[in-house]
Amino acid sequence: MNTAMDDGRQESLGEQTLSFRPVTDEDLDPEARTDDTPAAGPPTGAAPDGGLPDGGAPDGESSGRGALEHEPRDGATGPGLGPDEPRAARDPRTDREPHDAPDLREAGEPGQAQGRREGREGPDARADEVVRGPGAQEAREEPPARRPSLFEKPAALRRPPPDDGPRPGDGRRPGEGARPDEGPSSLFRPASVFEKPPAPERPSLFVRPAALDGPGARPAPGQAPDGLPDSAIQDDAARQVWAEATAESTERPDEPASTETVAPDGERPDEAADVHQPGDPADEPVRDGGEPEPDSPAEAAAEAGTAAPESGNAPGTCDDAEPVAEPDSEPGSAPDAEEQPSRPGERLEELPPEAMEALTTALNALRASIADLRFGLDLPGSDEARQARAELLAQLENYVLPRVRTRTAPALIVIAGSTGAGKSTLVNSLAEKNVSRTGVRRPTTGTPVLACHPDDRGWFADGELLGGLQRLDQASPETGMRGLVIAATEKLPQGVALLDTPDIDSVVEEHHEIAHRMLDAADLWIFVTTAARYADAPAWSLLRLAKERGARLAIVLSRVPQRSADVVLKHFVRMLTEYGLGDIDRFVIHESQVGDGKLPDSEVTDLRMWLAELSVDEERRAQAVRETLNGVLDSFRTRVPALAKHLEAQVAFRTELRGDVEGAFLRALSEIDKASKNGSLLHGEVLARWQDFAGSGDLVRSLQLRKRGRAAKQAPERVLAFKAAIRTGLESVIVAAANRACADAAARWRRRSELGAKLGADLDRPSDELIRLTGRAIASWQEHLSELVRTEGVAKRSVSKLVSFDPDSLAVIFMVAMFSGGNGEGVPHRLVNALLGAESLRGIGAKALSDLRARISMLFDEEAMRYVRALDSAGIPDESVATRLYQATYNLEVVR
Amino acid sequence: MTMTTTRPGLAPRLAALTKVVELGPGRLDKKLLDDAGALLQRAGNRLKLSSEHTVVALAGGTGSGKSSLFNALSGLELSPTGVRRPTTARTHACVWGLEGAGPLLDWLQIQWRHRFSRASALDKGDSQLHGLILLDLPDHDSIRALTDTEADRLIGLADLVVWVLDPQKYADASTHRRYVTELAGHEAVTVFALNQADRLTTEELAELVIDLNDLLRREGVEHPSVVPTSAVTGRGIESLKSVIATAVSRRRAAIQKLEADLHRFEQKLSQAMPMGESLSAPSTVDEARRMGLTDALCDAVGVPAVGEAMENVYAARSNLWVGWPYPRWFGKFRSDPLKSLRLDDVSSEIHGIATASVSAQSAEVSNAVQALADGLSVGMSPVWRTAVHQAARSRSGKLPQALTEDLSEVAPQLDRVPGWWRALKVWQYFLVAAFVAGIAWLAVGLLMPGRLPSSLELLGDTATLPWVGLMMASVLGLGALSGIASRNFVELGASRERERLEREMRRRVAAVSTTMVVEPVERELGRHHSFHTALRELSV
Repeated sequence: MNTAMDDGRQESLGEQTLSFRPVTDEDLDPEARTDDTPAAGPPTGAAPDGGLPDGGAPDGESSGRGALEHEPRDGATGPGLGPDEPRAARDPRTDREPHDAPDLREAGEPGQAQGRREGREGPDARADEVVRGPGAQEAREEPPARRPSLFEKPAALRRPPPDDGPRPGDGRRPGEGARPDEGPSSLFRPASVFEKPPAPERPSLFVRPAALDGPGARPAPGQAPDGLPDSAIQDDAARQVWAEATAESTERPDEPASTETVAPDGERPDEAADVHQPGDPADEPVRDGGEPEPDSPAEAAAEAGTAAPESGNAPGTCDDAEPVAEPDSEPGSAPDAEEQPSRPGERLEELPPEAMEALTTALNALRASIADLRFGLDLPGSDEARQARAELLAQLENYVLPRVRTRTAPALIVIAGSTGAGKSTLVNSLAEKNVSRTGVRRPTTGTPVLACHPDDRGWFADGELLGGLQRLDQASPETGMRGLVIAATEKLPQGVALLDTPDIDSVVEEHHEIAHRMLDAADLWIFVTTAARYADAPAWSLLRLAKERGARLAIVLSRVPQRSADVVLKHFVRMLTEYGLGDIDRFVIHESQVGDGKLPDSEVTDLRMWLAELSVDEERRAQAVRETLNGVLDSFRTRVPALAKHLEAQVAFRTELRGDVEGAFLRALSEIDKASKNGSLLHGEVLARWQDFAGSGDLVRSLQLRKRGRAAKQAPERVLAFKAAIRTGLESVIVAAANRACADAAARWRRRSELGAKLGADLDRPSDELIRLTGRAIASWQEHLSELVRTEGVAKRSVSKLVSFDPDSLAVIFMVAMFSGGNGEGVPHRLVNALLGAESLRGIGAKALSDLRARISMLFDEEAMRYVRALDSAGIPDESVATRLYQATYNLEVVR
Repeated sequence: MTMTTTRPGLAPRLAALTKVVELGPGRLDKKLLDDAGALLQRAGNRLKLSSEHTVVALAGGTGSGKSSLFNALSGLELSPTGVRRPTTARTHACVWGLEGAGPLLDWLQIQWRHRFSRASALDKGDSQLHGLILLDLPDHDSIRALTDTEADRLIGLADLVVWVLDPQKYADASTHRRYVTELAGHEAVTVFALNQADRLTTEELAELVIDLNDLLRREGVEHPSVVPTSAVTGRGIESLKSVIATAVSRRRAAIQKLEADLHRFEQKLSQAMPMGESLSAPSTVDEARRMGLTDALCDAVGVPAVGEAMENVYAARSNLWVGWPYPRWFGKFRSDPLKSLRLDDVSSEIHGIATASVSAQSAEVSNAVQALADGLSVGMSPVWRTAVHQAARSRSGKLPQALTEDLSEVAPQLDRVPGWWRALKVWQYFLVAAFVAGIAWLAVGLLMPGRLPSSLELLGDTATLPWVGLMMASVLGLGALSGIASRNFVELGASRERERLEREMRRRVAAVSTTMVVEPVERELGRHHSFHTALRELSV
């Protein structure tokens, strides 16, 4: 029922808003006063509403009795409770409402509201409805009184007397008070109210109050209408037009009563009235006549069905501040009412809390995985990937998450386009205020400027949308790109905010990035180009992006010379059509004298109307928001996996590079293995020393007959030289292999990519340490071998009786035997075999060889580590993140 | 302009560039090399064609008013203007003074139907423009331009480029990032026309000109010449004309443009391949390095060890020939450990070991080559370092084999037996025989005195016996002495032989390394040197 009321109001809102605007503060004041008086009574009624949300039936009842108390509570509770917040917001309104129709509300609402709230999952919504219900009723009673502005003011006025203390909302109301002054803007406000889904709920409350006020302030209504109509008409001829249209579409038929008032205003009031009336009937069932509330909601939903989505979000998302603001904007209470209806609809469409929860969780998981993403390696495409990652992250944080949480937030319309296209001028013109600097210098705008209705200011100032940017009151050079200037102006309708962005194509490339970031957070894009620029490549790449993202788009072609407008427009439209963008909203702004950074009003009328329509038409706005959000979520399907792919490519690249190094050193190792077995070690000096050793008779002399009783003597000089030669030979084999391995690894890296070449720039030869370490390793290996020969090479008993031998010499002979390969037929083999026995020879041989290999492996590992370190220093991509990304994307799809 | 005129002529620098292109393949980035080739070709073509004409191109974004300016400059409606974007898709040309311009226009690939000429008779006032070929280019920034490089091509070919900017687009990234940042050094052949000045108030225009100047300076155009124009009102057209006329009448724009292009290319080149210490890198392998290489290769072959082994083995073996035989005979009575190990045949094999020839250790050879290349390529850029290494290694695969073969020819024959060894052996045996004869004499004299036939009376003469004993002792002593002496001779000879051997081996190693390592390396070093010399000449 409430919804019905709301619907009526919503529809009428437009009209109402118009009428409201006319309503001046004075008007309001009188009304307010009148309201106040009634308010005293109603507050109790209101209280119940508030109380209900807070505690329950009892509170409501009590509140009914002591409106003051309840109200305060409401306000207090509102803020505290997430869901209640809206209610709280309403509460203030309710307070007002109570004034209007205390009795009815008290009687019916508290109970109903409680019951509904309790029963309903979305207590807010119900509460709102309920509230609206009463408001609607009141409205029915006194359509003219509905003027929100009146209410607002009254509320403010009233509050002090009755509920000042309690009303937490009062604090907010001050703002409202100011708003009433804004009367003219009230027209917009209504719209904005509608736009703001959260507000709607409150509005409903307000609406009621309005209705209540109406009764109380009926005298005022009469006055107000007159005043309102005039101003409203004057100011908003255009708006009125569309407002009327909307109104008509909604429920003009019912309006008769309201129409009675002034003609233009009258229409609006009528509409409002009508709205209320229709709503009222619905509400009545519950409260008054007991009309089935459900019906009214249903109607409302049907009527405001479009807006529903947003409104649905609104309840959950409504910020306290906003609701407050809305109440303030009550002058547009009618609009609020409309919003309310829309809300119900939204609610219907809204995701169930669990789904929202799940979606948020999935998105958070996705955000976390993307945040964990690191592209350490400068592979081709990684700059793009890094940027894509930053974009995704920013979009998630600045737009998607806030937007999912609060779908009913005001719609953010981002104005993007080429430098010099007149974005700032356009925003200034629409805002009727120089919010953004204009000039001949290109690029002009460096810091994005957000223009919104004062009621929405809080939302943008504190909201999470574009949370990464520092909020500013004024652009200053220092803040540069990291800031966001927020300018409030009543000239903009509520519920739509314009964001003036830096250009997309000037020399200052940071601007492009910031502009794209803004676009990522946009609910709607307005793309501005000029008659001179419409064929520019950057412009079309942006349009293509919009198309890819499925973003809602409108195009402004500005600076069109009057005389060639047709030709240009025709050509441009043809190009658009070829691009598949032929059916997009287009606006043409002719070349004209720009005064004080603004265009002549006539040039922006269309656009203003479009905005206002958007402001009023909850459904359209919600749809636009939803479409864009869905488009963004859809785009994640390809964008996130693309990132994951790049990460995988990085991991794969890393693996390849490591593989290159490992392969190179493995091959080096096997080279050494081969060299140590095929006798190639026994060349050069080693060979000469061997000849020396054997030819000079030292070989035979190293064997002594046991019976001579002389044990082995100190190794002669030649044995030491021979040993050193073997060491040198082995060293050189290892170093040469390492040289080759390093050159090989570096060459492979170079072949792989530029990055590989960069990483391997200083790695094409072994470390300076290698030779020293190798020398040490080989020396200790030789020691080890001598030790082996000494301890394990126990000579055959039959031999040891006859012969003693010099272990050092034997070790050297052993090495020669080892390295000469072959099949054991050489002299050294036979000697060692005869002395130690075949088994012992094999055992020691195997041990010595594996020990040598282990030592070389260690050396090479050390060398290979240099490459790994170089790789690591470039960054280590974490493969698991890619998996998590896929998982998160999948989860998101499931949740959706 | 002043800068360019002080530079040496274009010809030597182009020659240097030719050299760079010649030596560059494999050492320079392919793209740079291609650019260099294109630049050379362009320079060659342009210099061949009319020097009486100056090609001036009007370039800019779509909608900046290139065609309008073109028409305003030519005074005729030659290039269609319009409000549709992009308007001009084909380059239009207008020639002041046709004679000789044909080949130039052909080279520029201007279609016949887009060529216009201003008969000089028509416009006497424009006589200062005689020799001007004015081009109206298509835009470079529209969606059409994405697939059309016409503007790019002609911006590269034109002698003088007039960038037509307008208040809306003067700061577009598409102009600045792609073209203006490349313009450093091109001040003499670049003019910026700030068109559509009529759209601005005087103050705005002044502000904008200052801003544009700042912007251009930030991007490296040190002395930008900015001319505000308005094709609509005709304002500034005359100044632009006079700027163009100056360039046209000096007939130097083509040269200046090429010089500026050369300068730009040279900077790119020096960025890609910094000169650094490159020119101080050696262009030949000096004596010390050659010595170092030879030493290292000798070590790889084991030359010192071979000499030492030869000495030792000779000494050991000479004992068998020239030594005092008695200790040797006595030693034979000692039991041989090899024999007791039943390895009798090993002794002959051991003997065989000492006859094996010389061989080179390939790992050490490759290390030696590597060390040489490392030393030579210090301070070179990585590409050249790799090239030097490759040159050094180019034949090092065969180097060990070549060394082995070459040195084997002079390897000492360790089992060689000099003649005097044999003579000494005979002498020793003669002494042994004398000793035996003495013993026999003594035996006869002592055991059979008087029983001897008279002819052998003397033998039985006991008075001679002491003399015989003395003679026998001296024979023994003589044997020992001659053994020691000849051993010393052997050692002396061996060490002399060793010296000779090492000298010979070093000589051969040096010869082999020169042909197989040093020469290829020097070729690469020479290439490196002349490449960098050319680079320096290019940059002077």
